[in-house]
Amino acid sequence: MTSKYDLETIELPAKWKASTLFTLGLILVFIGAVLGIFMKGQGSGESAEFKHLIHSYLANFMFIMTIALGALFFILIQFVSRAGWSTSIRRIAELLMWTIPFLAVLFVPILVAVWSGRSVPYEWNAPEQVHSSVVKAKIDIGYLTKEWFTIRSVLYFGLWTAMAWFFYGHSRKQDESGDVEHSLARQKWAGPCIMIFALSVSFAAFDWVMSIDADWYSTIFGVYVFAAGMMAFFATMILISMALQNAGKVRAFISVEHFHDMGKFMFGFIMFWSYIAFSQLLLYWYGNIPEETYWFAVRLKDGWQYLAYALIPLHFAIPFLGTISRHVRRHRLGLTFWAAWAIVVHWLDMTFLVMPNAGPANFIALVGHFIGGAGMFAIFLSLFLVRAAKAPLVPMKDPRLPEALTYANPLL
Amino acid sequence: MSHNDHNSKATKEPRPPKACGWMAEFENEHDLLHAAEKVRDAGYTKTDAFTPFPVHGIDHALGIKPTILPFIVLCAGLTGLCTALLMQWWMNGVDYKYIISGKPFGITPASIPVSFELTILFSAFTSVLGMLALNGLPKFSNPVFTNPKFDRATDDRFFLYVDSTDKYYNRESVRELLSSVHPSSLDEVLEDASPSELPRGILLGSLLLVLAGLIPAAIVLNMRASFSDLPRWHVFFDMDFQPKKKPQQTTTIFKDGRSMRPQVPGTVSRGQLTNEDPFYLGYDPMKVSSVDGPRQIYVSATDTVLETLQPPAGGDGGTALNLPWLEKLPVEANEANIKLGKTKYETYCSACHGYAGFGDGLVAKRAASLAQDTWTTPTSLHADRVQKQPVGQIFHTISKGQGKMASYASSLTPQERWSIVLYVRALQRSRNAKIEDVPVEQRSGLTDAQAPKTDGQ
Amino acid sequence: MASVPSSYNPREIDNTGDIPGRRAPLITGNQTYSSVTEMVCRVAEDPQPSIWWILFGMSSLTAVMFLSLIGFLIYKGVGIWGNMSPVFWAWPIVNFVFWVGIGHAGTLISAILFLFRQNWRTSINRAAEAMTIFAVICAAIYPGIHVGRAWLAFWLLPYPSLNLWMWPQFRSPLLWDVFAVGTYASTSLVFWYMGMIPDLATYRDRAKSPLKRFIYGLLCLGWTGSSRHWLVYEKAYTLLAALAAPLVLSVHTVVSFDFAVSQLPGWHTTIFPPYFVAGAIFSGFAMVVTLLVPMRKIYKLENLITLRHLDNMNKIILATGSLVGLAYGTEFFMAWYSQNQYESFTFINRAFGPYWWAYWIMVTCNVISPQLFWFKWFRTNLVAMWVVSIFVNIGMWFERFVITVTSLSRDFLPSSWGYYSPTLYDGLMFFGSFGVFLTLFLLFCRYLPTIAISEVKGVMSAQEHADHAQAAVLAELQGKDPHTTHGH
Repeated sequence: MTSKYDLETIELPAKWKASTLFTLGLILVFIGAVLGIFMKGQGSGESAEFKHLIHSYLANFMFIMTIALGALFFILIQFVSRAGWSTSIRRIAELLMWTIPFLAVLFVPILVAVWSGRSVPYEWNAPEQVHSSVVKAKIDIGYLTKEWFTIRSVLYFGLWTAMAWFFYGHSRKQDESGDVEHSLARQKWAGPCIMIFALSVSFAAFDWVMSIDADWYSTIFGVYVFAAGMMAFFATMILISMALQNAGKVRAFISVEHFHDMGKFMFGFIMFWSYIAFSQLLLYWYGNIPEETYWFAVRLKDGWQYLAYALIPLHFAIPFLGTISRHVRRHRLGLTFWAAWAIVVHWLDMTFLVMPNAGPANFIALVGHFIGGAGMFAIFLSLFLVRAAKAPLVPMKDPRLPEALTYANPLL
Repeated sequence: MSHNDHNSKATKEPRPPKACGWMAEFENEHDLLHAAEKVRDAGYTKTDAFTPFPVHGIDHALGIKPTILPFIVLCAGLTGLCTALLMQWWMNGVDYKYIISGKPFGITPASIPVSFELTILFSAFTSVLGMLALNGLPKFSNPVFTNPKFDRATDDRFFLYVDSTDKYYNRESVRELLSSVHPSSLDEVLEDASPSELPRGILLGSLLLVLAGLIPAAIVLNMRASFSDLPRWHVFFDMDFQPKKKPQQTTTIFKDGRSMRPQVPGTVSRGQLTNEDPFYLGYDPMKVSSVDGPRQIYVSATDTVLETLQPPAGGDGGTALNLPWLEKLPVEANEANIKLGKTKYETYCSACHGYAGFGDGLVAKRAASLAQDTWTTPTSLHADRVQKQPVGQIFHTISKGQGKMASYASSLTPQERWSIVLYVRALQRSRNAKIEDVPVEQRSGLTDAQAPKTDGQ
Repeated sequence: MASVPSSYNPREIDNTGDIPGRRAPLITGNQTYSSVTEMVCRVAEDPQPSIWWILFGMSSLTAVMFLSLIGFLIYKGVGIWGNMSPVFWAWPIVNFVFWVGIGHAGTLISAILFLFRQNWRTSINRAAEAMTIFAVICAAIYPGIHVGRAWLAFWLLPYPSLNLWMWPQFRSPLLWDVFAVGTYASTSLVFWYMGMIPDLATYRDRAKSPLKRFIYGLLCLGWTGSSRHWLVYEKAYTLLAALAAPLVLSVHTVVSFDFAVSQLPGWHTTIFPPYFVAGAIFSGFAMVVTLLVPMRKIYKLENLITLRHLDNMNKIILATGSLVGLAYGTEFFMAWYSQNQYESFTFINRAFGPYWWAYWIMVTCNVISPQLFWFKWFRTNLVAMWVVSIFVNIGMWFERFVITVTSLSRDFLPSSWGYYSPTLYDGLMFFGSFGVFLTLFLLFCRYLPTIAISEVKGVMSAQEHADHAQAAVLAELQGKDPHTTHGH
């Protein structure tokens, strides 16, 4: 008699090599950077090429960082709600979450740009070049300075790494002992960790993305970035799970019910993102105050307007209608398609947040930006593989695993 | 009495009630599922189970097909969305447009909330009403209610029912099949023999209620259609008779008995200051009498009154007004003012008058190319007539407009207008400049530049 | 008096602990299907306890006072309130937002917890939904009477008027409110009613008197419990839940738009929509706790509404309370970060201006008091949680007061500044709305199923089913474990 819960199926496929994927990612990033350099430079101050490259890097970094943060939040919420259904897919999320220390290294180029006194991507970093009196006042209060920016960034990464370490560590320890205490410890700390997470992600979004436009502010911005990341996280989970199953792994552990649920969450966060994005737009459109609307004004000219208007169907209407049916969410190919779609539109969204500040849209540079984004995603996945090579893909001794293997979706 | 009331009503009827099918009772859902599978496998389709809660797997066990309700709800949702968008577009964009804080008409981000709500409203009601319709509810008379045991179907018992209209139905074989799954009871369901018409009391009562409900509506209709000599009924007395005074009424509060109060001595009306200062007018109002005696009175009133004294526009651009124009610029002719004048001239004037003042601005050129006969060609600022105009008159033209030219008083401050006059004077001077006007150290370059030009010709 | 079923256990059983891998039962006392029916139906079938009559007497008197005051208000005009320049949006709007916020927990528990498969909702959703509808009724009264000429409130609806020949102004958030609250009230009502249909059938089948049987028979529309009906019913219920979930969010979002689309400092900030929604859920759950703690005691429902249900609700109160606190912090931070002097002034004025007391009551009640729920003792002690829930109710009322009044009392023109004080009528009318709310809730307890009987039974059955399935899988997993067997 062969059990379908074969331990061999919870290992990474032998052909999946982190180094290959990492090299591929590096090559793509390089090609992207080269294309960016060969764009026709325009503008003054910092060279347009550097301006483009550093913005492109920041956008692509946020693209993968938000996914890792989505994984962290997913783990936290599973323990807060004592969820059982997700146990068999939780390890994949844990491995995605555990890439956060690596991502801290990927943030270093931004810090280098800041410490070399560049006025891009953060205009507040070069006070002598600032003309806006509001930005000057902001620099004067000492919040947007390179020292504090660095301290806060280190703090965010420190907190996230500590949380990821705690949750991943207990999960791995439970793999060996099967001790219930590991679940209880995580349940106990998940609540406070969510509070820390909410606070740190909100402020990280303010610091890293919102302060590119040092004039502009929006209190909802952190929620916006969070919502976008959650959608992309579920899409990534779906893609990784599908790929693992296609390689003959975890078939008994991840059922159509899990895909259905992940699809529902992805659908839910598509709606949530739209809700948040619409709330921000409506309030600023209706208020019509110049210092608030100019952020949209920058994004509605110089070619960026096509991206801005395209986000409405691409990030909302089309995937919303596409994933509204339970039949699609339970259909392997259909769900894979929409997950891939969600990742691409998440990249578009991050581009929309960051790139218009680098100047007018330039087709060649954007192609380079896209290739660089693909490269960063490949690097992100290779980091996941680095982690996954050292751990089974399912927490076999988690006491809630039977629940995950037997549950079924009700009607929705 | 209700239709549901089965309390031995059937016995009063002369005819024995018809049997509708068999009903087996079970203690728990597992036995029910087991029995249902057996009945399904025996080929019966006109079957049903009655349970106190939705039993998981019963649809499969009985072979019930999924419902089309979600599709209906989706259609209703889209209908709601379209209704909301059309409604807002029609009501605020077409039929009754009005400007609210400068927002555009028709479909805007502000249309989203109502569209969302109507989508939900239509979908939600459709899912409830659709559920009732698909289930054939409300249905108050049902044969299953004739068995008192059936009361526990909403408590803790599970019933399996095979209807007699099933094409394989045979009274005995169904009874045997159901007995074989060991139900706790097995009964034949009899048709509901209670009278089908409403009891007389309820009928009369509801009729009376409906009639009573019509009375207020009838009163309102009558009042709307008839006339009355009685005075109006004042519900809100202090709203209809407010303690206030209107103009031209008397009062005992003030000694002069007037409700309207005269102005307090020394009151300065809005705009009075600027109407007496030549800087704001381009002419000296105090000297108007020396030019045109009888008009003095108008000048001390508002400046707009003068407008009516202007001769009709037309001809060569209007006859010069006979006013004591300022001959000397009230602003200093320095670099700052001339730069200000240049900026403002190029922003506001150059579109028609052209950058050099020849009346060949882009708008003028385009109008000429379109051959619009309503278009009046802009005056060249180098025309002799304009060259001879006093600075005050040019200022007045900018401030008040002339012919087709509109007033720029709301766009330009007096300081800016005077600066434009200064710049116009500079332009005029430049057309008639002599080499002596150019500073000595810059003359050489100019003569050099001219030399090849003349050679080429 | 009350016939207590044998399964009733007056002792509080702590079923909040959940050993991973073994779900603690949601209801205590080894219940059977019939004992659940018995416990719930008893509430309506037995004579009401004397406390019910006392409460009903007091609340209906208060409700009558409220209705009389509305009559007086319509006769005399809104001048009897303290609304005065520059604060024209005062208690009426505060009370409206307060009640609408409370009206969020019901549909949230019904819809969102349903979508998240939180089975513990089944014991509390019915009462919460009823509370929602009564709270929305109270809420809808205030804008109705605040418009001054309440009898012309129908002008808000887009009907083809032959007299006016004009349409409502669809770019106004106040009109969005009409649509949002209208949709919410009617959808919540049908959601509530549809959920009650099977339980009304239970009431019908247990009714002793023919009149009761007739009325409940009419109300349950002839429900039989047919599986074919259940299937469509469950689908419809799921669809309604999926529709109601975004609806709940949208309603308080639109309420927040009332404030946020303006340019007033303190109102015009983008976090308002999610922050209002979190606050609404917060206050709604607090009100559910306030109502259910006495209700389960009076009607001896401790085995169905267990400590675990209360514990879970208290956790949600803690979570949403902290979210609200985070939003307060974000607003303050952004006022400083943006270096917008109007924003900065508004927030400093809130905390240290003439309404400092309201601000600090709000912070104490909304942010600090729910933090007690980090401790299990507070989450499971009935008195403690009831007191905290009252604090939260107070705090959430003050939150709306702070937002509305502090921003309005400080105009852009300092010459227009003023200090708002309510009148006695303001206070009595707010107090009176509680009379309406409680009267309706008491009548609901008296005549309608207070707990979703069929859903509780469904969860009992599902849990039993899941336990069997999990045990089987666990055996298979452990059989595969290399340490215990060689397998194959």
